[in-house]
Amino acid sequence: MDFKDLASRLGIDEDDFQELVELFVTTTLSDIEKIKKGVQEGNSQDAAAASHSIKGAAGNLGFDDIFTLAKDMEMQAKQGSMDNFEDYIRDLENGVSALNNI
Amino acid sequence: MGNKQPYTVLAVDDNLLNLKLIEKSLSKEGYKIFSADNGPDARAIALKEKPDLILLDIEMPGETGFDVIKKLKDSSETIAIPVIFLTGVSEVDSKLKGFDLGAVDYITKPFHPLEVLARVRIHLKLSIATNSLIADQASKLRQVTEAQVAMLPTPEDNPGALFGVYYKALEEAGGDFYDILNISEKITGYFVADFSGHDIKTSYGTASVKALLAQNCTPVYSPAESMKMINDVLVEILPDGKYLTACYMHINRTTKKMTIINAGHPPVVCLPKDGEPYLIKTKGDVLGIFKDAHFGTQSIDVSEGDKFFAYSDGLVESAQNKITWANGADSLLPVYKQIAQVPYDRAPAELVNHLFGNDALPEDDIVVLCVKV
Repeated sequence: MDFKDLASRLGIDEDDFQELVELFVTTTLSDIEKIKKGVQEGNSQDAAAASHSIKGAAGNLGFDDIFTLAKDMEMQAKQGSMDNFEDYIRDLENGVSALNNI
Repeated sequence: MGNKQPYTVLAVDDNLLNLKLIEKSLSKEGYKIFSADNGPDARAIALKEKPDLILLDIEMPGETGFDVIKKLKDSSETIAIPVIFLTGVSEVDSKLKGFDLGAVDYITKPFHPLEVLARVRIHLKLSIATNSLIADQASKLRQVTEAQVAMLPTPEDNPGALFGVYYKALEEAGGDFYDILNISEKITGYFVADFSGHDIKTSYGTASVKALLAQNCTPVYSPAESMKMINDVLVEILPDGKYLTACYMHINRTTKKMTIINAGHPPVVCLPKDGEPYLIKTKGDVLGIFKDAHFGTQSIDVSEGDKFFAYSDGLVESAQNKITWANGADSLLPVYKQIAQVPYDRAPAELVNHLFGNDALPEDDIVVLCVKV
């Protein structure tokens, strides 16, 4: 993933983009915790809301893989199902830590 | 929106990253950004800072974007601020609802900062254009006022007419109107009228009446004939429901005869040189409504030094005190007696001063004309 390219696509500096990525990682990790809690407590609406938040942020920054994951999770959770969410969460966490390592 | 001050944008989104992204991309272009991550904070900032534009997320916990815009549009202080919604791409209903509630545009999420920038720019431009249109219209309205005042003859321009006048329009386009007609060296016509309504149409009406007076108040026609012809034209040209009450005083200073035509207007007050003031009451239809209108006509002998007052109902009526000119005119007679010694050119202002004091505002347009024989 090329941050420089993503930053220029958004029309902002690479430094600013870096700052946004750090904010994204922090908020997304917090949202993932909310999803996990939702799964534990069987509260699909909370999981949907947290997925929605990740979806919006990822979409805006151009993190397409994370965006698609979060979108699928939100749609499914809105319908009351959290099947396979362990897999989804693992994929999300991998995506976020990949960002951290760039 | 001054030139030097940066334009201000209020961004509202519960997603902090979105807020940050908007802030970074817009502030880089010179905008000043306020941010709020919830509805109540957003409304408080909107009220305090009066931003030039608001970017508003719809889906927020607690107070949604819809709730926020409803409240913003309910307040006169924030109603004019353009609001752009941030909404999910597939949410057609929410887009329509947003427009319904007064949003100027929407941006679908995930948004691209450059699109946000472009839409912010275009809506600020539109808003500037709208504001300048309003300023332009206000300036045109002021021109109407100036033109209307310019149409009113002054005593200085008509020294032979021996009159004084007080004229005050309550709004930009006043409903009161008067004119002086120098029919011949010794014959002068004095016309005082009050249009129904106080708007732009009214002020165009006054221009028409002025032209009609000039055409029809000539030595060839009697005062009654002049008024009838003017009425017949006004019936044709005035918009439905528009009319005017008027009083026409026609003085022949050679024969010392005065004719008064009254078209639904408050009665003329006569203040004889030596004697008690009295009302010259005549009943008549208003101008501009009926083709076969009947106007009250009175001819009286006058003496040099007699003074006559014609005025609009604003002088005698009071909505607050429920006084109409039918009873108000009588009750004012003692006041005319008090100003009997005031010269005719200062009498109208003195009369208004006696009635309203120095600072009390009249409730309507006022015109008072004093004519000396």
